[in-house]
Amino acid sequence: MTESPWAPPLADLAVLGRRGLVVGALAGVVSAAGLVLNPAQFYRSYLVAFVFVLGVALGSLAISMLHHMSGGAWGLVIRRILEASSRTLPLVALFAVPLLFGLRHLYPWADPARVAGDEILRHRAIYMNPTFFTVRLAVCLLLWTVFAQALSRLSKKQDDAPAPGLERRMQLVAAPGLAVYCLLVTIASVDLLMSLDPHWYSAIYGVYVVGGQAISGMAFTLLVSLFLVRKGAMRGVLQPRHVHDLGNLLLAFTMLWAYFALSQFLIIWSGNLPEEIGFFHDRLGGGWGVLSVFLALFHFAVPFVFLLSRDFKRDIGKLAWAAGLLLFMRWVDLFWLASPAFHPGRLSVHWLDLTTPVALFGLWLAAFARELGTRSLLPANDPNLAVALEVHAHG
Amino acid sequence: MSANADRPPVIAPGYTPATVTDKISAVVLNKTPRWWYVGFAISFLAAQLLFITIAKLLVLTVGIWGINIPVAWGIDIVNFVWWIGIGHAGTLISAILLLLRQTWRTSINRFAEAMTLFAVAAAAQFVLFHTGRQWLAVYWLFPYPNTMGVWPQFRSPLMWDVFAVSTYATISALFWFVGLIPDLATLRDRSKHWFGKITYGMLAMGWRGSARHWHNYETASLLLAGLATPLVVSVHTVVSFDFAVGIIPGWHATIFPPYFVAGAIYSGFAMVMTLAIPLRKVFGLEDFITMRHLQNMAKIMLATGLIVAYGYGIELFMAWYSGNTFEQYMIHNRILGPYGWIWLLLLLCNVLTPQFLWLKKVRNSVLGLFFISIIVNIGMWLERFVIIVTSLHRDFLPSSWGMYTPTRWDWSFFVGTLGLFFSLMFLFIRFLPVISIFEMRGITTGHDFEEQAGEVKP
Repeated sequence: MTESPWAPPLADLAVLGRRGLVVGALAGVVSAAGLVLNPAQFYRSYLVAFVFVLGVALGSLAISMLHHMSGGAWGLVIRRILEASSRTLPLVALFAVPLLFGLRHLYPWADPARVAGDEILRHRAIYMNPTFFTVRLAVCLLLWTVFAQALSRLSKKQDDAPAPGLERRMQLVAAPGLAVYCLLVTIASVDLLMSLDPHWYSAIYGVYVVGGQAISGMAFTLLVSLFLVRKGAMRGVLQPRHVHDLGNLLLAFTMLWAYFALSQFLIIWSGNLPEEIGFFHDRLGGGWGVLSVFLALFHFAVPFVFLLSRDFKRDIGKLAWAAGLLLFMRWVDLFWLASPAFHPGRLSVHWLDLTTPVALFGLWLAAFARELGTRSLLPANDPNLAVALEVHAHG
Repeated sequence: MSANADRPPVIAPGYTPATVTDKISAVVLNKTPRWWYVGFAISFLAAQLLFITIAKLLVLTVGIWGINIPVAWGIDIVNFVWWIGIGHAGTLISAILLLLRQTWRTSINRFAEAMTLFAVAAAAQFVLFHTGRQWLAVYWLFPYPNTMGVWPQFRSPLMWDVFAVSTYATISALFWFVGLIPDLATLRDRSKHWFGKITYGMLAMGWRGSARHWHNYETASLLLAGLATPLVVSVHTVVSFDFAVGIIPGWHATIFPPYFVAGAIYSGFAMVMTLAIPLRKVFGLEDFITMRHLQNMAKIMLATGLIVAYGYGIELFMAWYSGNTFEQYMIHNRILGPYGWIWLLLLLCNVLTPQFLWLKKVRNSVLGLFFISIIVNIGMWLERFVIIVTSLHRDFLPSSWGMYTPTRWDWSFFVGTLGLFFSLMFLFIRFLPVISIFEMRGITTGHDFEEQAGEVKP
């Protein structure tokens, strides 16, 4: 493995991992203090942080499955990053455990007194109760992990010995995997986020979260690609045409997210029904409106304009700026989805909102760096790799 | 792009630019086959039904249809949505797959685009004639500055629809025609009859195939592809808004926009398949429209079919989850009400049938794909019927509930548009090349138009 031209830069990854670990652990200790001082706020902040990290790992898994379905050079050059990111899902599952202790701080349906006095919550209780919630979350995390591991194992097999038919077997995992992924994200997003609001519902919610996760996965992958290029790994591999395709995909995902967001807003705003409009009423008034505008500008308008430019998309150094912005905005979007339910009518950002994501993301990054170091940075035996790496005259 | 060995090729081996040109232009320049006359006659006869219905409708207005309060939108709107949805596959193939550099699109894009145009023409009949007094429609649809100071409701998606659909028709027509120009020049040069020479010559707009012409051509088609791409999404999104911004249970669901777009692509690919399979057979074009094309279209149908199934599922779940009486009754009525059998049939057609496409054996069977594509076409028609009619006929007030039965004039209008569509389709396959000749030549020489196309885009 050491002779391979695509060996991972182990020393650099170790530094990255160590930094992640130290920063994550420090932020974790501070957050733990917050758990003692203000448990309700801790769980609220922790939920957003968890869903954010989950989105990065799951987005990577979804993009890798999409690549197995569609083929294309763009996917081969980032496949190992996506795989390393999706192999962290067992750790993400571990991150879910603290949530289970804070359900009554988070969800109206987990509070027996509220359920007793609310007809709709009583109606939902057969589905929305702490036991069934835990079972569903566990099943979701388990199935996502199974699909991630299955793909990763086949990829490892391909590294060990080139065998015909491995590609097809990966497709056979990815096709149902993508369908199951979308279904489970829908279930999990209703559970984790939508049910924070006791009565509100929106049918597009799951799709909206799927679109957001695709952005998370792609933005993170681009940042890692820039890191690898800077460290001299994958020298001469990542050509402008690959970066261009990745930039186009990031643009497409950003547009999809905005499309889902606008559809949801326009339909609910036009209908103006009492059981639906509350969601936007909470998010457009009392300071939250500023955050809504910020979201529209920096989760869509600004990156959109930059991502239209061909020069911008062909340069990984520039593209990484958009990716960094979008990765940050992913957290803002999830914060915007969750927090107004706790503080309606008053914009509120607690210091725990900042330390918890740093803690989880730092620890997660350490695990990711370790995983990325275990394999060659390119699937060397993939039959399509030679074509993917060809240098075009106009490349 | 993929070096997958077990995949069928996009073009059978052994073709040169000359043989490709011979084979495709022969379809147009040879003597008209007898089956064409039979097919065209039947379609044209059916189209007469449309004109008779329109004549009657102009005199007696929409009262000849089965619509009445509470069901003011009947199968006229079902048919509109069905036709406009079918068109989307053509635009997806010609614009999005061009930008995505999918070489396999080459041989099916021409007639898929033609299908788009004719489907939009059929759809337009319904929106135009369901307005009742069509001579007044101009001033409640188009915002022109009149002395009465009357303006359309700009906040209504029905108004946006006018713009969305007319833009769609314009861009599709331009895209299709620009794509035809080099081939029209080929036909001009190969025609033996003076009439053909002059007609094709005028349509070719002085095309000489110089480097400058090609450069302009490629720029124009990329710009049009870029313009057409958002239309694939926007047209059916606005159509879904027609329903979703209202507060009728069964219409007012936030999932509608993506679910409608997926449904449109689903039905569009089904229609492309329904047309392509007989077409390649009768013209012997199996070497150009290969199993690879049919398999890829089958996969797209499976994927979009799953999205549509997701839409049905999420509607059921949210109706339950909402705890809203009206939402719950809507679902109850949809499944167990008087139109429940249509809902069941819809599940069989749209959810169960495409699952067979998971099997490679089915994706390799031309006959199997043909049947599935027809069933999906029927299923998508039923879907719109379920959405429109069962949501309207029993809404908030039980005292105003009612039933809807289409009259024979509803059906004759629908059959008439089928006649119009197929008449135009028959004329198209007889007088214009059904497959893009110059792009197929490009494939045989390895000069890949899409590869370049991808490089020029912004």
